[in-house]
Amino acid sequence: MALDLIKNTTMPETAVLYTIQWRSRIYAIVGLASLLVLTIIVTLAVGSTDIPFDTLYHVLLAKLPFIHVEPTWGSNIETIVFDIRLPRLLLAGMVGAALAVAGTTYQGLFRNPLADPYLIGVAQGAALGAVIGFMLPISWQASCIPLLAFIGAVSAVAVVYSIARVGKTLPMTTLILAGVALGAFIAAITSYLMIASGDRLHGIISWLLGTFSLTSWWQVAIVAPYIFIGTIVICLHARPLNVMQLDEEQAQQLGINVEQVKLILLGAATLITAAAVCFCGTIGFVGIIIPHAVRLIWGPDHRFLLPLATFAGAIFLILADTAARTMLAPTEIPIGVITAFLGAPFFLYLLRQRKRAIF
Amino acid sequence: MNHYIRKGFCILAAMALFLCLSCVPQSPPGNIVYGLGIKVTIDVIPQRIVSLAPSNTEIMFTLGLGDKVVGVTEYCDYPQATKTKPKVGGFSTVDIEKVVSFEPDLVLATQIQGKTVIPALEELGLTVVALTPSSSPEVLDNTTLVRKITGQNKQASELVCDLRARSEAVIDKTRTLSQDQMPRVFYITWHDQLMTAGAETLANDIISKAGGQNIASNISGDKTINLETVIYRDPQIIVASVGMGAGEDLPWQYVRSESRLKNIQALLNGKVYKIDGDLIHRPGLRIVEALEQMALFIHPELFN
Repeated sequence: MALDLIKNTTMPETAVLYTIQWRSRIYAIVGLASLLVLTIIVTLAVGSTDIPFDTLYHVLLAKLPFIHVEPTWGSNIETIVFDIRLPRLLLAGMVGAALAVAGTTYQGLFRNPLADPYLIGVAQGAALGAVIGFMLPISWQASCIPLLAFIGAVSAVAVVYSIARVGKTLPMTTLILAGVALGAFIAAITSYLMIASGDRLHGIISWLLGTFSLTSWWQVAIVAPYIFIGTIVICLHARPLNVMQLDEEQAQQLGINVEQVKLILLGAATLITAAAVCFCGTIGFVGIIIPHAVRLIWGPDHRFLLPLATFAGAIFLILADTAARTMLAPTEIPIGVITAFLGAPFFLYLLRQRKRAIF
Repeated sequence: MNHYIRKGFCILAAMALFLCLSCVPQSPPGNIVYGLGIKVTIDVIPQRIVSLAPSNTEIMFTLGLGDKVVGVTEYCDYPQATKTKPKVGGFSTVDIEKVVSFEPDLVLATQIQGKTVIPALEELGLTVVALTPSSSPEVLDNTTLVRKITGQNKQASELVCDLRARSEAVIDKTRTLSQDQMPRVFYITWHDQLMTAGAETLANDIISKAGGQNIASNISGDKTINLETVIYRDPQIIVASVGMGAGEDLPWQYVRSESRLKNIQALLNGKVYKIDGDLIHRPGLRIVEALEQMALFIHPELFN
């Protein structure tokens, strides 16, 4: 109906479709952003301990300025809501956003649907760093594991990058091959160290599967700047990334400094992925599936794809973490198990529904 | 008068003889049944024994059978004398070839190895007995079983009787406590990923026998636990397992430094204690020591 109405005006057909797509995508961005806020508020009320929704509502209101609410709850409830659940939700959201954005970026850069944030060695590097951290004296582990994981992730990509570089250009196929090969090499070292680690194996495996179980505010504060700045930098490069979906040579001719864009996007995606995995481990699946799901629903234009993937990734990982902490409460399930177990069927459903080539 | 004394003496002697005969067999036990009803025939008293668990090693040494032990695991570290014994690998990574090379006439395993190591050893013709302890009385029963198999002497039987008496002494005092006289206890085994011991663990058994309520008794086994659950259940006593791995007390330090825990009763009242994890996780004879320590933490007024 709406389409017919607009058709009667003088606009050419393609422009009409373009306007409609624009509008629906703007709605989608606003919609997903509000859904994210709603998700945070709702999941804040869910946990292994029962906090009635109206109590939660009052606890939240009491924190706002100029509103006075007589506290009828124990200080424990406040600790649970503000110091356990909230930082955990925020970290999960940021990590989900980071992995989804990095995945989208890699898929765009490599023009390869199988690309995920871990394609060129980030995960393997982080895992090696973390495992080395686990081998250190126990009292150093808490601070060293995230630091070493971050260093491992970034330096693995740096090595891959320097291997793959040919003169002043960076052939993407070489980059993937170098990444996969170096990843396998690092994974071999990691596996050996894990076998040799004896009684620390349990800790290592649960790190590899990922968990947010002891998140506190300081971790949120460390991770936030990387992910915010990195995501914004990537989103600002959506247009060149779109053009690069053509041939690289054509992109160059259209006035894009291809090599510089590659370097910026790789650097930003690597940094946010490293920041995402360093505290909570290498959570799989989010980075490959969220970009595809968003692309299936809203199309491949990176100007929308990137922000939409950010919100979708955050929502998905918050929900997954909520499942991880409540399904078998009071014990926890590693979040990597949840993301794959719930995410894969959902994605297969989407794939089947749309029945079209997605990439 | 004299007559009565003599008669009494005779009865006492008969009873003593009966006791000796009933609980101190000197001959090989023949058929024995262990664990989940598996039958093993032992015709000769074993002289060369390989232990596949630290708890089994502890039981052997405590019964004075240390010199019959020809192989232990890498984790067997108590008593000191075990450190010089030849190793047969880890717990789940037992080196079968090595076990065979020691030519044991008995392998003391645990039920956890039932699907992996034990069939492999039995296929090679070795005699394997697996112990399955999940509560402190079962540990003592296991000890009695080992004593029977090895044809052990009266001294060993006295030791078991003595340990049984010590644990009874604790249980007698806590048995009559009502629900609200039993404080809530959080037992923390690891801090980076909070780990605790739920139902069907030795720690849970010890906490309830010592007169406390384990806040994690609604989950079973050694599991992770939500920090918010711990805060919500507001434990009155926290006991941290220490000495795991490199002899560290990190779970204890964690509890005392975690700002989100500072308002729970155990911390407000300064009731955060350490216990040697090896005492409480290994189903060996030091379990009685663990029970006494736990009872002292939970009910200082009863046991001081």
